[in-house]
Amino acid sequence: MADRRRINGPPGGTRPPVFASLQESSTDIANRAQRQRQPTELRKIFLKAGLIPTASGSSYLEFEPSASLAAARSNPKSLIPPSSALKLACTVHGPKPLPRSAAFSPNLVLTTHVKYAPFAARKRKGHIRDASERDLGVHLETALRGAIIAERWPKSGLDITLTIIEAEDDRWWGDAPDSHDASWGMMNVLAGCITAASAAIADAHIDCLDLVSGGVAALVSDDSSQSASSAPRLMLDIDPAEHRSILSACVVAYMPARDEITELWLKGDSSRAALDRNDGRTGHEALIDGAVDAARGANTVLAEAVRESIARSFA
Amino acid sequence: MSSQRQASSASQVPHLSPAELSYLYTSLSLPKNPIRPDGRSPTQFRPLSAETTILPGTNGSARIGFADGTQAIVGVKAEVEKTVLAADTLDSRSLAQHGDALNREGEEGSAAVSGQGEWVQMSIEIPGFRDDDALPVFLSEMMRESLVGSVAGGDVDGAKEMAGGLKGRLVINKRWHWRLYIDVLLLSQPLAYPLPLLSLTTHLALLSTKLPKLKSTGEEDPFFDDDWAAAEYLYPRSNTSDPSLSAAPSYPVRPPVTLLVIAVGENVIFDPNREEIAVADAVLAISVTRSSDSETLKLLSIRSIDPPSRLTQPGIPNSENVNMIGATAAPGEESGGQEEVEGVWRPRRGGVKRGVIARMVKTVLGKGGVGEEVLEGLEGVEVQ
Repeated sequence: MADRRRINGPPGGTRPPVFASLQESSTDIANRAQRQRQPTELRKIFLKAGLIPTASGSSYLEFEPSASLAAARSNPKSLIPPSSALKLACTVHGPKPLPRSAAFSPNLVLTTHVKYAPFAARKRKGHIRDASERDLGVHLETALRGAIIAERWPKSGLDITLTIIEAEDDRWWGDAPDSHDASWGMMNVLAGCITAASAAIADAHIDCLDLVSGGVAALVSDDSSQSASSAPRLMLDIDPAEHRSILSACVVAYMPARDEITELWLKGDSSRAALDRNDGRTGHEALIDGAVDAARGANTVLAEAVRESIARSFA
Repeated sequence: MSSQRQASSASQVPHLSPAELSYLYTSLSLPKNPIRPDGRSPTQFRPLSAETTILPGTNGSARIGFADGTQAIVGVKAEVEKTVLAADTLDSRSLAQHGDALNREGEEGSAAVSGQGEWVQMSIEIPGFRDDDALPVFLSEMMRESLVGSVAGGDVDGAKEMAGGLKGRLVINKRWHWRLYIDVLLLSQPLAYPLPLLSLTTHLALLSTKLPKLKSTGEEDPFFDDDWAAAEYLYPRSNTSDPSLSAAPSYPVRPPVTLLVIAVGENVIFDPNREEIAVADAVLAISVTRSSDSETLKLLSIRSIDPPSRLTQPGIPNSENVNMIGATAAPGEESGGQEEVEGVWRPRRGGVKRGVIARMVKTVLGKGGVGEEVLEGLEGVEVQ
């Protein structure tokens, strides 16, 4: 479906010129983004609720830029940033009455709308939502509907809109796609969307069972030279640009108070995970547990942000 | 109406009364042996009829019909296309080779040889839905991701051609590749959540897909044998040397199958029909395939699906019902409308425990589990 109503930029996007000499220097190992964090260490999250006054609830979320990105900003060697950090804004409109034409609903009707800004990723996105954005919207809806107590608002609708201002990369920008390539960046985006949407819903004072937060865990194998011998390792909160190949990743939406998962999305081959010998779990169980740990970490930030927004509304 | 349709599974909310939902839930959640409305066992599938290679104009096709009248047709078409290296992934390897002629090791086994996920395109047509509605988009992304994500375990002898999974199979040489279009057509109204039907049909269609035999070698422009009888299967079959064993063709690598699993109470139930899914506590779509290097099944993806039970109408207990005042013996003085009353339907709230997910996955993957049973059943379908 072509967008004919607007004057669009070139579909393929434009990018700064890259010269071969620069390319050689930037492909060496030093310039490649490397994970500096421990496997279980999460990135810092900036989360603030209630920034958009016209919406009944809103939030803004930002992930801490990776160490290589911070270094590249302070001391630029290349025109191309080595990695990107997630930034997104969420607005909640409602609960509001359903339009007259809509069918009766005994529950709150949730509508989620995830949209990348055209400049969010390295490749430009169109103004009309593509399949991956619609897919993210469905995932987000599943995650939130489990947390909202929907029968308290019959005949009402709730619109949740997420704008991705800066998305995560699927892989390091210089790598050609390999056999493990998939849209891994989307999973980080989804986790961020869940956490931000949860804060915005709480900011709109809508009853929930618990604050639901998103977390990502992945199995990565970093050394390409001996990939056969070294088993992939479990890492929490990955930045896909920092890893050579990601075998499998998992996003959960998790409610700590009830120890329940409202949304689970796992993909990739998780059978070759390197676990302890006395660890009875299989690869996918370890992945889910890892993602839940990451979600618990995000939940502390979320709870703090919600507390802040409540305090401000009473002040 | 449009907002209703947005929901992925909400479109499937059947019009059952709270009393009917409560009855269904109670019989399905009976400990150990649930009673299903159609008398199946928890792991039993609906009977189906299947045929393959029904469309002469496609590279591969299949049709599956369930006994309840739902039918799906899948056609697979392949096109040769020039490989364009995405401009943002600068081919660092070729640049390096320009500078360093000695560096020849990357000549064949590298960047360009691994395929890209975008080469497989999937579209799903469901009557009553627009092609950009949430349900078709969600279903096609779910099936596509397990398809392009399935990477064969190792280079076991028969599986050489499938070293990079389906993506690797689509590579012709560094400059050319196949593009695969998988078009799924649901012929009937979606009576139940159509995922199992569409996934099984796609599986059979891919098994019957043939690509013309390549005559050119290496980096030449591709040139194919025009004898269709010489065409090769997309998923190669191992010709077993022992003719007694080769009653059914065996595949070193098979396309994935996505199974729909629901949890009701303590029970795990497969292939739910429309009424059963309406009372599910949790719904998962689990994609599995048989890996070439081991006997066990391999998990490719799990996605949770929004259970329609969250959108159902709650029942009202007699103690709160104005019409029943006086009829009930002792109206509960404490009832705040929030308590669970036995036999009164409440829409499901919250999520699913990790233990339940683990149990659902184990039922699919385990030795002699449902996944193996389904794949064996599909092997029974004769694919010409």
